[in-house]
Amino acid sequence: MKRKQVVPLMLIIPFALVTLLVLAAIFNIIIQSMGYMPVFGLYDFTPGYYVEVLKRSEVLSSLAVSLKIAFVSSVVSAVLGTLICAALVRTGKDKGIMLYTVRLPILVPHTVVAVFTVALMAQTGIFARIAYALGIIGDYTEFPNVLYGSGYFGAILAYIWKEAPFIAFFSLALMASVSHTLGEAAENLGASSLKSFFHITLPLSMPAVMRSFIIVFIYAFGGYELPMLLGATLPKAFPVYTYIEFMKPDFKLRPYAMAMNGITLILSLAMALIYAFMMHRLMRRLGGGYEE
Amino acid sequence: MKNKTALRLILVITVIIILLPVCVMLLWTVTGRWPWPSLLPESYTGRTVAELFTGSSKIYEVLASSIILAALVAVLGTAIALMTARATEVYRIKGAKLISFAALLPLMVPGTVFAMGIQVYLIRIGLGDTLAGVVIVHLVAALPYCITIMMDMTAAVGDSLEEQAQVLGANPARAFWSVGIPRLLPGILSSISMAYIISYSQYFTTLLAGGGKIKTLALVMVPYIQSGDRALSSVYAVTFVGSALMVFAIFEAIIHRLIRGSE
Amino acid sequence: MKRIILSLLLAAVMVFSLAACGTEKAETNTSDAADPADMSWDEILEASKGTDVKFYGWGGDENRNNWLNGTVADYLKENYDINFEYVGMDINDILAKLTSEKEAGEDTGSIDMIWINGENFYSAKENGLLYGPFTDKLPNTEAYIDQNDPETLNDFCKPIDGYESPYAKAQLVMYNDSAVTPETPKSAAELLEYAKANPGKVTYPALPDFTGSAFVRNIIYETCGWEQFQDMEADKDKVKEAIQPALDYLKELNPYLWNEGKTFPADSTALDKMFQDGEVVMNMSYGPFTVASGIADGTLKDTCQTFVFDKGNIGNTNYMAIAYDAPNKPGAMVAINAIISADLQLTQYAELKELPVVAQDKLSDEEKAEFDKVDLGKGVLTQAELLSHRLPEMPADLVPVIEEIWTEEVVGK
Repeated sequence: MKRKQVVPLMLIIPFALVTLLVLAAIFNIIIQSMGYMPVFGLYDFTPGYYVEVLKRSEVLSSLAVSLKIAFVSSVVSAVLGTLICAALVRTGKDKGIMLYTVRLPILVPHTVVAVFTVALMAQTGIFARIAYALGIIGDYTEFPNVLYGSGYFGAILAYIWKEAPFIAFFSLALMASVSHTLGEAAENLGASSLKSFFHITLPLSMPAVMRSFIIVFIYAFGGYELPMLLGATLPKAFPVYTYIEFMKPDFKLRPYAMAMNGITLILSLAMALIYAFMMHRLMRRLGGGYEE
Repeated sequence: MKNKTALRLILVITVIIILLPVCVMLLWTVTGRWPWPSLLPESYTGRTVAELFTGSSKIYEVLASSIILAALVAVLGTAIALMTARATEVYRIKGAKLISFAALLPLMVPGTVFAMGIQVYLIRIGLGDTLAGVVIVHLVAALPYCITIMMDMTAAVGDSLEEQAQVLGANPARAFWSVGIPRLLPGILSSISMAYIISYSQYFTTLLAGGGKIKTLALVMVPYIQSGDRALSSVYAVTFVGSALMVFAIFEAIIHRLIRGSE
Repeated sequence: MKRIILSLLLAAVMVFSLAACGTEKAETNTSDAADPADMSWDEILEASKGTDVKFYGWGGDENRNNWLNGTVADYLKENYDINFEYVGMDINDILAKLTSEKEAGEDTGSIDMIWINGENFYSAKENGLLYGPFTDKLPNTEAYIDQNDPETLNDFCKPIDGYESPYAKAQLVMYNDSAVTPETPKSAAELLEYAKANPGKVTYPALPDFTGSAFVRNIIYETCGWEQFQDMEADKDKVKEAIQPALDYLKELNPYLWNEGKTFPADSTALDKMFQDGEVVMNMSYGPFTVASGIADGTLKDTCQTFVFDKGNIGNTNYMAIAYDAPNKPGAMVAINAIISADLQLTQYAELKELPVVAQDKLSDEEKAEFDKVDLGKGVLTQAELLSHRLPEMPADLVPVIEEIWTEEVVGK
């Protein structure tokens, strides 16, 4: 009996240590966002920085922009990613060269993705040049300007290019293992392959898809590179706004940047909680699932 | 089967969409100028490749240290994730949900800010500007992915086979090694490659925790990308992506050989 | 029981492997942490022999990286027995690192020298992240640097007080391709006409980009004069009132700009790419000889030409400072002293095409001749033309205020 209690505790020690460090860092962010930074001679302890940040007119519109980027890009990525994952598993191409191709976009740094989104999609990009060569447009100014608009289409597209393969790769191990065991068992018992996929493989792979979805969502909500390099000057995505605030050389302004990070943290936490709640209900509806 | 044609089509489209920008990137590595409206570069240059091999960045040393560091993080991260997953999914300790939630925490704050917070503690415990410090901050960044993968995988695989092996007389370690690990292998491999990618891509955290003493490819590459030199960034990006894929290929070949050997 | 042992073992291995990495704490040959303030120059030279010096700064220019890790490192090794290394790191990251170290109470960090200027210098100095004053100790300060030059005394109008030593001079220049648009606007008014003639093909980087910000300050100088800003308080209403003519001008310019001034390129590198691709007809740079290096490495056509406004363009100086917790202060001082020598400034001028910081009248005839011999390359203005069209920077704390006003008043208006 004792062993059953001691072993798992031993097993989580390394994770617990890392989490402790993470919590300490979060604690640091929170006290700094309240204005406590002795190293710069700031000894406040007030919610005032949060209040002032939230009062700024740009903040709400930039939060809306970021939520939109995160929501659209993660939903589309999840759908496409699941589709790619299923295609890999069902065609048996979940190993070898395809696995390398799918990992490629995960490896390309965001800033490089931005460079090549511009190279392809800009008004003077490859697509515009092809249109020009075919005589569809007479000058690059006639090519639709999909980048740099306040709709953040370019940033969303770039996120999808990177994150759909991520979701596919992330869910692949689980989906392949479910499909090769339970899915095939169901087929042997007479279920059609489509039926076994939709009733067995997909539901059982959902935890991985959903978890990678929330990872992508949180990332797209908090990442500044793509919206900064592919988005509009105004309204800025919230992480871009935070980044600019953070880069201000006057250290006395640092609590404002920290308060903005605090807002990101709180919103991400809230969204992760909503997700956990929804997952819980979803799993229940799917018939208990193995989560319980 | 009919639906397989559709699935193959999806894969073909995926591959084209993934490879299109990559081809442009390959072309840019040797491009001098490529102005509107040319469909192909107007002039080519070898300066970037020359810079890669003869510049002051010592590419081979940097590659070697990046690979060793990322491999270390990948193995440690996956081991920690495996341990955590066994605690929650096999031993079913309380708070498994809390752990899977806590694992995501590092994703919720920009890495830059996180790294700064952690750095203060690292210096206080004497790990400022050390390899250990860099490994720790990389682990923080990689663990959310590793733990998520390993928890899902461990839960899906379950421990019934291992228990059977134990009933048949194998000791727990042996049961885990010869029954558990092979079934978890796909998860272990994806956790290792995710952690590898995360560590390999770290820029700011490596700078901060390593103080410039721990050199990685990302440290050399990112400033060139930021400086907007497309040809030079492309050369480094191709080196970056190519070297990582090569490491995966070698690593996976070794693993498969080991598996085959032990069977 | 075996499981307990196994998991204990695993945990132990994990902790030990980390601890083992920890003991490897890179050992550097640093001279003892003695404060060089109490040492004579000879003692400083002696203390720095055989030591390592690490210089941190922006790493995005491969030519500069090669110059520092090659020419400068060799020179320091040969003449002073110093192992010099340049580490590419953005100034914001450097300050973040120093801040963390200060917060943790560290007194021996890993950064010796820092490439810095302007607001960052002001803020770092105010917050005790820099070591100093030290420039008086360097023999070459007296030997080569003009002591009365305002840029020796002040950095963005803020007193230097011996906390940083000049490194290279920068100046904002504009450039275009004479094969596309032969005219070179010589004033704000001509620039407006130029934009009208090339609608949608002129723009500048979104503030707070360094170059975009300098361009807007230059427009402010064009439309409001530069003198009044030298001692202006960083009060938002006052600044806004003073720069109103510039804001009006920029708003008038907007409809003719790329994307009608609703959006601006995210940074100067985005604008560089647009110029290289022919999406815009004019570009700007804080490196006065950018065109020559662009033509040399093939990214720019050899018909490109550099120009400045008749009333002058903003110039500033880059500096080298020493970190408050530099492990090797004497070594850093020796290295800085060497970099401001005529020898290394000449190689910087020749290899990197950077305006030197040495005073012309302090050079020997031979040294002068060497500088004159340098071939700057195509499409650039001479050093004399640049220096005769050089305007001083504004006070560092006005810069963020102007950036804020621009975002509110100009974008999309």
